[in-house]
This record gives sequence, structure tokens and C-alpha cells, in this order.
Amino acid sequence: MTKITLGCEPAVGSLAPSKKRDYRVTNRLQEGKRPIYAVVFNFIDSRYYNVFATVGGNRVTVYQCLEGGVIAVLQSYIDEDKDESFYTVSWACDADGTPLLVAGGINGIIRVIDAGNEKIHKSFVGHGDSVNEIRTQALRPSLVLSASKDESVRLWNVQTGICILIFAGAGGHRNEVLSVDFHPSDIYRIASCGMDNTVKIWSMKEFWTYVERSFTWEELPSQFPTKYVQFPVLIASIHTNYVDCIRWLGDFILSKVNDCLIQSVDNEFILWEPKMKEQSPGEGTVDILQKYPVPECDIWFIKLSCDFHYNTAAIGLYNSGNREGKIFVWELQTSPPSLIARLSHVQSKSPIRQTAMSFDGSTILSCCEDGTIWRWDTVATS
Amino acid sequence: MDSSSMDMAMPMSMSISNSMSLSTTNLHGEQVYGDLGILAFKISQMKEQIQAERVLLIKEKVEKNRERLASDVAQLLSLAVLRTDGSAKEISGEGKMLSSRIKNPLSILTGPSQASGDDNSSTQEVAISISAKLPVVDKIPPYTTWIFLDRMHDYRNQRMADDQSVVGRRRIYYDQNGSEALICSDSEEEITEPEEEKHEFSEAENRIIRMVCQDYEPSEEVLEILAQSIGGNISEIHEAYHMLKTEDETLNQDVSVSADLGQDRSISLDKSLSASLDSLDNLFCRRCLVFDCRLHGYSQTVITPTERQYHPLESQENVKPCSDHCYLQFQTVKKYSDRPDVLNEKHTRTSDECPHEIHNSAEPGKRKVSKQTTTMLEEPKHVTDDQQESSLKKQKRLSIPDTVSMTIEDAQVSNDKVMVVDVTTPNQDELQMIPTDEAISFGVPNSTSRCVSADVIEDSSTGVHLLKQASNQKQIGGSPINSEWKPLEKELYMKGLEIFGRNSCLIARNLLSSLKTCIEVANYMYDSGAATSQRSFTACSMSDCNERADADLKELEVPSRSRLLRRKGRAKKLKYSWKSAVHPSLWRRIADGKNQSCKQYIPCGCKSMCGKECPCLDNATCCEKYCGCSKSCKNRFRGCHCAKSQCRSRQCPCFAAGRECDPDVCRNCWVSCGDGSLGEPPRRGEGHCGNMRLLLRQQQRILLAKSNVAGWGAFLKNSVNKNDYLGEYTGELISHREADKRGKIYDRANSSFLFDLNDQYVLDAYRKGDKLKFANHSSNPNCYAKVMMVAGDHRVGIFAKEHIEAGEELFYDYRYGPDEAPIWARKPDGSKGDDLLVPQGRAKKQ
Repeated sequence: MTKITLGCEPAVGSLAPSKKRDYRVTNRLQEGKRPIYAVVFNFIDSRYYNVFATVGGNRVTVYQCLEGGVIAVLQSYIDEDKDESFYTVSWACDADGTPLLVAGGINGIIRVIDAGNEKIHKSFVGHGDSVNEIRTQALRPSLVLSASKDESVRLWNVQTGICILIFAGAGGHRNEVLSVDFHPSDIYRIASCGMDNTVKIWSMKEFWTYVERSFTWEELPSQFPTKYVQFPVLIASIHTNYVDCIRWLGDFILSKVNDCLIQSVDNEFILWEPKMKEQSPGEGTVDILQKYPVPECDIWFIKLSCDFHYNTAAIGLYNSGNREGKIFVWELQTSPPSLIARLSHVQSKSPIRQTAMSFDGSTILSCCEDGTIWRWDTVATS
Repeated sequence: MDSSSMDMAMPMSMSISNSMSLSTTNLHGEQVYGDLGILAFKISQMKEQIQAERVLLIKEKVEKNRERLASDVAQLLSLAVLRTDGSAKEISGEGKMLSSRIKNPLSILTGPSQASGDDNSSTQEVAISISAKLPVVDKIPPYTTWIFLDRMHDYRNQRMADDQSVVGRRRIYYDQNGSEALICSDSEEEITEPEEEKHEFSEAENRIIRMVCQDYEPSEEVLEILAQSIGGNISEIHEAYHMLKTEDETLNQDVSVSADLGQDRSISLDKSLSASLDSLDNLFCRRCLVFDCRLHGYSQTVITPTERQYHPLESQENVKPCSDHCYLQFQTVKKYSDRPDVLNEKHTRTSDECPHEIHNSAEPGKRKVSKQTTTMLEEPKHVTDDQQESSLKKQKRLSIPDTVSMTIEDAQVSNDKVMVVDVTTPNQDELQMIPTDEAISFGVPNSTSRCVSADVIEDSSTGVHLLKQASNQKQIGGSPINSEWKPLEKELYMKGLEIFGRNSCLIARNLLSSLKTCIEVANYMYDSGAATSQRSFTACSMSDCNERADADLKELEVPSRSRLLRRKGRAKKLKYSWKSAVHPSLWRRIADGKNQSCKQYIPCGCKSMCGKECPCLDNATCCEKYCGCSKSCKNRFRGCHCAKSQCRSRQCPCFAAGRECDPDVCRNCWVSCGDGSLGEPPRRGEGHCGNMRLLLRQQQRILLAKSNVAGWGAFLKNSVNKNDYLGEYTGELISHREADKRGKIYDRANSSFLFDLNDQYVLDAYRKGDKLKFANHSSNPNCYAKVMMVAGDHRVGIFAKEHIEAGEELFYDYRYGPDEAPIWARKPDGSKGDDLLVPQGRAKKQ
């Protein structure tokens, strides 16, 4: 961390839960024996707000959350390569509004599944190593970003199957990229972070013509003039360790500080304001505004999830000492941040890799290394 | 008093009330002054207040962000709803599987708590029928995303940028299977950061210091208290204290001044050339003739060659004018005119009037125009043409005619000889062929001069660049003021003289474009010439600049003459035999050097002859064309003078020394252009030197595909013969220390692209390189690698060891050491004949 000086102190959230809301386990599924790395609701299409997808091993599964803790299984896809282990999945759709699932994992092949027709839509071969995260541009849901171990971030058009941009090179990441996110309204702006301890903010503005061209490209996708974006607009070295999760919160950025690798077991999310210097790209400063502690967590590759309105966020944590998997629910946009609830369960003894918050935040799903999926619902507090 | 609160980003009321309260305390009595107990209290109060302000600020920021985000989310929401309507396709029966599954799910899993209310009930197994299988897609071999050093990157090696170093950085590795990470940093001492980092005071800390310095003298005690409460040491605080004090004073004195300071960053024509070039000067690479050279780095030591070449441009008759403003346009005028004296008189008068005119330039130019018309009577056509032109320009043009004939030889010519025409007229073809932007390349009339004139060219190209800015600025700023010669223009003109000789067309076009017209330059040139002639007879009455122009001109002449003499001498010497081409001791050194890795060449800046202090001699490298020393320096590599196409064997001294021939140095090695279309490497036919293949990039098409052995492999598109050049192994140039560190990292990933280059550098193709980095190792290879010295740089060429058919995979011997030790840790064995060079031992690709 950069040294915090007088007048630049962040507001640190207190760990005493406000109990504004409380959640209770309403369902629990065992999907298989292999770890489930990702769970995500569909926020792209209002028809499917309560539909979610999970990935674990070589399987992609689609569920629906129904009233009263009921979960319906809708679709299931199996990769014929048994060695595939999916790490990430994201909802997307094509121009017609057909829902698509985009999944990636250890093989580095991105699978685009047409959930509207229950078949494979496209497979993207290109990444030189495993894919750690895939995110969808909500404003243009045919555009997805993938973060890979091959040190690059790539922008794809899932509709036409084109790799439009590769964010790597002279100013790129120097180790695996772990997480990536689109800015919620500035369509040109993305952020990425990874095992080189940096957060990088990139602009696609001068490459946007290529993005537009990708929609009308009629030749072979491999003939598309894919461009390298080599220089980010800001490189923030605010962390001294892996940064495994990044999300835009408006114009601010939430990124996870991973201290678990250096003896301390306290992680935290920080909310910070990037201050770009237009004249000299790459050299901005950051102002760290708030901290959301994630105490007693000694694993990494854990991702946070928010409700549609970014009011609340859920983060799973795990302590290998007492083997306890817990979920912290934070109120994101208050200052100082306040913890709403701390969810734990006697049988929750496995690392929680990812959570998913439903549209209104009333349901939280968590997926665990032991292959279980947990559903938590709010209970009325008196 | 409140100036301190002025520049705070904090809510105004708070800071004002704060300083108010302080000042009240101060007013209440002198005893407060210097009361250190109160000071500490005040500081802590202030700190608290700053923190409180910070909390408010964050609240404000978060709230603002929340509002913005709310509108963003609203937009996303409406989009998500719209997508529901847009599902026209679904109605037609297509793509509705997800919707229909919602109606008919595969299975329904009721929560256990629903049934029993018991939290501890067992988990339900999901037995799911599979909707669809994802067919296997072939994986590609793993790789890390890398940048192809292609045309855009000039196909060249690039020196590592400072921020790319892994030395001293902690690298953490983890075990893929578990999540346990293991820290693999370098030895602890490497990580320890310099403790003595200078304390940088934040805005808030400055505010406290400011507050204190308003009320207290900076005594030891006061500073001590400050240091304790805000950090830093006493001297740093003292420094900050004084800085802030002066800052405040200037702030109070004149706010407008400080506002002006930041604005005037554009290039002023009043600055001298050297001042304008100051920041750009060492950004130019004199070896590659580009700015911001990635190979040799920026901030190179500027080495000025002791001898310069001067190429007077050949005269030619029937020259066409370079533009409407060309002095040649006025030759005709002059020929018809039989009153040279009048013209001259006019000329002096006009130039005298110049400053005056500038003052009037705001007025409509009617007066001037009429004046012109009267003087231009001899050629009415021109006058009409000129009507469209700026009046100022016209006025200048009037005074041109006689300048035409000025040459160096004419320097002494007196006024009555001025009418001599066309002694040095520019080469018409050159004039028309070369666009302004290519001034740089044009500045090198033939290849031989490349090194010598490099710095002249540099200046001019920078100048041109500056000028473009300057002229843009001018256009924005209003009417151009062309009649006056600004210091920068004068100096650019001098550079132009150095490069092009007395050729106003070229000078105006390449150095003073949009600042001065050819005529103006010609006129100025005439002025300078006149100055020379006058000065030789009478006391110096001319302006400074003219004197300088003359002085420079003379300097220029001397070396060009001596060069001619030397050239003759050298030509004779070279007749003896090729052995004399290299200095004897050096020859031996190269021969002996087989057991050492080659030495990195660093140009020396010796004046004329290299003595014992010469870094090249010291480093046991030859002097090259980029050195400052004279061409007759004994340490220079003299190149070869093999007959045509004889440079492919050890008979050629260049080839034998592991060097490519250099058209600037070797006698018979050159490239003729025009055969083959542009962009294609010229065919290696008869008559061409066969030892410039890296320089000319006469490489083969390499294909990248899955290797038959492991991972990726490089394949050949067309068949080649033994010893044919295939391509270059390019990459990032890193130090051995850096390579050592990276090697450790790469070993873990089991993939290394390091290649030992010379005593200073290792090539790393991990993130930057070309397809040849994927050629695999074999102990029975079909290729070999060889380090060649190409124009002062070591480069790695991959050559065919035997005839290779099209489509074959390429292999070369990585020269794994017996113990696999890093190559830089042991002595490479030079047992294998010529190829002293030795690929990195660790490369292993999977």
C-alpha cells in the first residue's frame, strides 16, 4: 500500500454489523465434486433477472431462483474435454436478444453457449493460457472482456466471434491478469488487475472504430485486424500483492488488497478514485477513499458481487485455520462503509469462491470449493 | 493571512474559521507568540480538523458518485427491459429455449429448510440431464502474449524500459493445485527499500507548516514539534517552511504573474536554436536517425564527429523555381532590369523599413501594395499574381533578385558583380522530388555521409519539427510577420547552410517552411554575403547575426577542403591489400576474442585520434563510424574492399570478423535501388554484397505452427540453401543481472527466450520478438545462430545449416551446457569455428 499521509486517510468501515438486513440459508445444492468457481445472475435481460449460471469443472449449469428458496434447474452443458475446468462465466446476448453464456477456464478456450437454442454458439481459441475472468459490457452485451494468464486482456465480439483488441504489450500486465471490468457508463473505459500487483485503466477511445467494425465484419473472424492496446491511461501500484478482484463503482474503483500471502490474514477492498493525467498517460495518481475490511481470510481468487444498483456487495471469505467460510455483506455507497451482515453456517466449511447478489440484493448465492451452492434469502427483521 | 486557506480543497468556511481563530489568539497578546505548549496543542487541533474535513470530503465524493452511478444504472435498467421487447425472434419460435425451460424446468429443488426448518439437513444432490455437449476444440500450445517486433517497431531489438525490470521486485508464486502461495522473492537485501526516502509533505501537512510559520519563528523547538507531529526531519521541515513562505509571498505579490508562467510553453522564435533544442537534443538517436530510439535509448551522450562532410550541391542549368516565392522567379526580372544599383538601393531601403512595417501591419496593407506596384513595374504579370499574396511577403520579394548568384566563391564579390547568375543553382530534380517531411533523409546526399552529417541532420529535423509548431502557433496568433529574422530563424538558416550549402530553395523548404520564403532566404543570404565583402574592406558595421553567419560559413569551408585531401590519400593507401583494412593489433584481438563473448560497442567521443583514454580501445572494440574520432583513427574498422559479391567467406575481413558489410565503410559494398518493388527485399543477384543481409532484412518468410516436437515451432515457407539467412532473433535487450533474475522466473514457467548477446546484453524474446523465437532446440539442427555486428550493434541472425525444404520445421542448437548452468555464469566454449556466439543455454519451450 502507498503510505497514507495526513489529510488523505480513507474512511474505514466498521466490522460491527448494522443488522439492517439479515439472511438465512434457504437452499443448498451439491452440484458435483469439483469446485465451483463462479456463479452469476443475468442482469442483461429483465426477463431473466432471477436466472443464474454456475461453472465448475467441465460443466456450465443454468438455474432459476423461485419463491420460497426453491431453485429450478434449467439447462446444463458439459464440455467433452474432461480436463477443462471453468473458472468464470458471464451472461451476454446477441443483437436479437438471444441469451448467451460465455465461459472460460484452464484450457484458455472461451465457450459461447447459445442458451436460447441450447447449443454451442462459438468457441474462441486465442488466449495462450487459462482465462481467469470474463465480463460483459452491459451497454453493448455482445462485447465481452477476458482476463488471462497469458498476461493479456482481450475484447471479443461474441456475436461475430471476433477478437477486436488485445490489451497487452509495452505497458501491459507483467503476470497473470486476474480480473477485469467495464466502466458502467463510459463505454471506452475498462480496468484490469492481476498478479503483477497493479491495477491498469485502459481507454478504447482511439480504437473504437475497430469495435464498430467488428459488428459488420463479414469475412473470416481470423482476418479481422485485431489491434494491440499497449498503453493504459493509468497504472496504479497501490497494492503490494496480487489484486484478484476489480469492479467499477461509478467513476471509482473497488479493488481487493490481498495481504494473505504475506503472513497477515487481513484482506480488504479499497474504494479509490483514479485521477488521470490527460497530458501524460500512465502517470495518474489515486486517492484512496474507503476501506472495506475482509478480516481473517487467507485464500485468494475470491470475487465480490453487487446487486444491480450497486447498493450492497457480498464477499465470501475463508480461513483455513478454523475452516470457516463466511459471507460479508457491505453497504457499498455509504460513507463510512457499513457492514450489513456477516453470514455463517455451521456446515459452511469450504472456501467460498464467488457470491452472486440478486437484482434487489434480497438473495445471495455462494459457490464453494466443495461443489456446493448455497442460497441465502433475507428474513424480515423486526 | 488567509492565503493559506485559499488553495485548500477543503470546505472554505472551515479553513477560514480556523485561521480566524488562530489569529484571534495571536491578537490577544504577545505572550502567545512562541508558546510551544500551545503550539503542540494547536497542531493536534489542526490535525483533527483536517481529518474531519477529509471525512466530509469523502462523504461528499461518495455521494456525488452515487448520484452519477444511479443515473448510469437507470440507463442499464432501461436497456435490460428493452431487450425483453426486442425478442422478436423468440416469437417466431427460435431461440426460446431458456424461456421455455423456465416454464418446464429440468428439475425443481426445494429448499430443505422449507420442509423441516432444520438448518442442518443434508445437501441435495443435483442430478441433471445434459442439455447439450460442448464438442472438444483443439487447444493451442500455451504462450504468453508477446509483441511482434514488426515494421512498426522497425523489426529491431528494443532496449528494456526502466519500468520493466524485475530486479528488486518481489515475485510471488503459487501452487496451481492448492491456493497456498509461496513467496519467491530475491534475497531479502534486494527488497529492502531505501530508508532514507525524502519525506514529501502532503497538502495537509503543508497547511500545518503554513499555519505554524504564520505565528511562529522557525526555531529549533518549533521545528522539532512539527517534525514529531507530522513526520519528516527538521531540515526537511525547514526547507518546506521556506518554500511555502516564498510561495505565499509571490502569491500575494502578483497572482497574475504566476498565472502567466504556465502558459508560455510553446516554442518562441526569439529563443536561440540551442535553447529550443535543449530538451529534444538528446532524444534524437544519431545512429538510427529517429527520435526516441528504443534500441539505443534516449539521453545518449551526444558525440559530435570531429570532421564534417560538406556537400556543395551540383549546379545545373535550366532550374525550375521551387515555388512562387522562389528567387528564380526574379531572375527574369533582374535580366530585364538594367538598373542594378536602384534595385540594391531599394533592397537596403526595404530592409531598413522592415521594423516600421511591422508596426503598421495591423492596418490594411493598401499603402504597401501600392508601393509594390510601382517598384514591380518591370514585370506586370508578377504583380497581378502577387496581389493575392500577403503584402508583407511581396515587399520582401522585391529585394531579392541579386541574391541568386551568391555562392561561397562569391563571398568576396562586390556589388557590381552581383549580376552574375546561376553559379550555384540547386539541383532541380532534388527540389521536386523531396517533400518537406523527408528533409532528414534528403540531408544525406549519399550514403557515405550518413554518420558524419548525422548531427547536422538531427538539428535540422528537430528544427523542422519545431517550425511546424511554431508556424501553427503563428497562424493562430494572427498575421504572419515575415520580414524580421528571429534568432531561431537565423540559427535555422545557419544549419541550412551547413546542410544544403547556399541553396535558398532547399533551406527555405526544409528548415524554414512557412516561416520564410525562398526569396527571403535568398535575400538574407545575400545580406550575409554582402557583409563578408564589406567587412573585408571596411569596419564591421553589420549586425551580430551576419557576423556569425560568416564565421560559421568559414568554418564550414575548411573541413570540406581538408576532407577532399584526405580522401585522396586514403584511396591510395587502400590499394595495397585487404589486410591493411584493419589495424593489425585489432585484427589479432578479434581473432583472439573467440573465447570471450563480444563486447558491446559504445561510440567514443575522442577528438581526432584515439589515444589511451579512448573508451573503445579500453573496451577492446573497434571505433566505428559513430565515433567522434577522425576517419583516419587507427582503431577504426576500415571495412572491406572485396570485389563484388565476394563478401560471403572469410576472405572478406568483415565476414571474418563477424560483421556485416557497411555501405558507409566498405569500398565496394552498396545497395542499388530500383530493382524489385518497394517493400520487397531486393533480390540478391550478381553484383550485390552478400554480407548485408541483416541490415537489408533479406529474410525468409517464417511460419508459426504447432511444433512436431513440443509446443510451438517455426517453419520455413520456401526452401533455402546452406548458409542462407533466415531471419533475426529479436527481443528486448536486458542486462545480465536482469536476465539472471528473469531466468529464475522463466525457469519456473519452464519457458525461456533468453539469448546471450554480448558482454553487456542478453536478448529476451519473452514479451517482444519475432516468430523465430519459437524455433526449437535440437542437437542435430538444420539452422545455426550467429551474432553479427551490424552498424555498431550486435544482432542475432539465424542461418540455414543445410539445404532446407519448404515447410520444414526449424531447429538450432541452444547449446545447453553440460550442467545447464546459465550461460553468463560460465565461459562459452568457442570450439566451433566461427560462430563465436552462443545462444542462451536455458531456452526451453514447451
